[in-house]
Amino acid sequence: MPEQQPPDDALLASLAARDLGALATLYDRYGRLAYSLAYRILGESEAAEDVVQDAFLSAWRGAGSYRRDRGNPRAWLLSIVHHRAVDILRRKTTFRPAPLEMAESQPSDDDTALAAEKNVEHRTVREALEALPQAQRQTIELAYFGGYTHVELSELMGVPLGTVKGRMRIGLQKMRRALERTR
Amino acid sequence: MNEHVLDDLEAYALGALDRADAERVAQHLVVCASCRSHAASLAEVVGTLPDTVTPRDPRPALRDRILAAARTETRGSTPASSRRWSFGAVRPSRIAFAGLFASVIVLGAADIDAYQRTTAITAQRDQLYGLIESMRQGGREWYMAGKDSFAGAGGTLYDPRADGKQPFVLFHDLPPIAAGKVLTVWLVSPDSTWARAATFQPNGQDVQAVRINMEVSGFDRCAVTLEDSSWGPRYGAVVMESRIAPPTTAP
Repeated sequence: MPEQQPPDDALLASLAARDLGALATLYDRYGRLAYSLAYRILGESEAAEDVVQDAFLSAWRGAGSYRRDRGNPRAWLLSIVHHRAVDILRRKTTFRPAPLEMAESQPSDDDTALAAEKNVEHRTVREALEALPQAQRQTIELAYFGGYTHVELSELMGVPLGTVKGRMRIGLQKMRRALERTR
Repeated sequence: MNEHVLDDLEAYALGALDRADAERVAQHLVVCASCRSHAASLAEVVGTLPDTVTPRDPRPALRDRILAAARTETRGSTPASSRRWSFGAVRPSRIAFAGLFASVIVLGAADIDAYQRTTAITAQRDQLYGLIESMRQGGREWYMAGKDSFAGAGGTLYDPRADGKQPFVLFHDLPPIAAGKVLTVWLVSPDSTWARAATFQPNGQDVQAVRINMEVSGFDRCAVTLEDSSWGPRYGAVVMESRIAPPTTAP
């Protein structure tokens, strides 16, 4: 019978109690995803590793102040990764890839499709994102992965700020409905 | 702060607000259950976006690096009768404040009267409080774990990235060093040029702050060595080091 893994909440409680084994388990569970996200945003392996290290050590130090009402542990950890990676990206704007090219190149990434489809949940999220009209998908991807603020996106895409906000709102609503249908 | 922020919640969830707007929304969420509930719902959707990313494996050494850094911090926090602060159990900003405040006391108390001392400390405290606040608002930090005879010691390089705020290193548990020796903080550029950023001696305190008189940007590594001289190139052994931000040079 396989050994039962502790739930994420229990891991964070153990982290707060300075249990290094819990940190190792948390890394084994989410280290790859955290690195993948950081790499997607930064496009550099060393910088992505630095972000992941910062994020896990932040979790190590801050687990005691974690509050469940601010998201589950996975979302909390990944939000730290996202925040730090975007922060770095915004500091070196000259390194940003051409925005539209970046957003459009993602779906053609064969590795992405093959690997993600091994996981039903990942595939569902991916399908929900890809099902969005291009303008909504692009707005969401450029904001989340490209680190652009909504004001920057308004200038970049040549549309009013209200349009950017509307695309974000409707796009996320559609994604939520799509995800709810599959649960 | 009572005005609802529904119009900005999607951008907030996606991390697409600038710092000032994000702070405004965050402050509102603290006091508004309705907006907080909506924000949590959006965060749940946005939290699935990482699942669309190409899975990639970091180098196996990353796991060891993280665990070693955490282990060192834990070791540094082991309670001891002589310690006034437990490093690992306190948030870094509090440690920074406590350490810097302590160093102000040590440095400033020697030759001024009580009133002047109190005034000076208060002014310094306010200044340092601003520094810590700037760290909360986007500063960066990198932890250097001590090795060999410095195992158990460590230092965190803080880069406040705010106008007029100097970077500094907050060391903990530094062991005494031999007479005539100094510790030197170096910033190392991608072409392996070592720039001397600070030279100091351990002051015997559990926590010691050392200011850096140069900008961190453009360097990709920081290190501390044990040297015979407070000037000249590096000769001594590296006692702690860390990779820091990638260089911000033009492509």
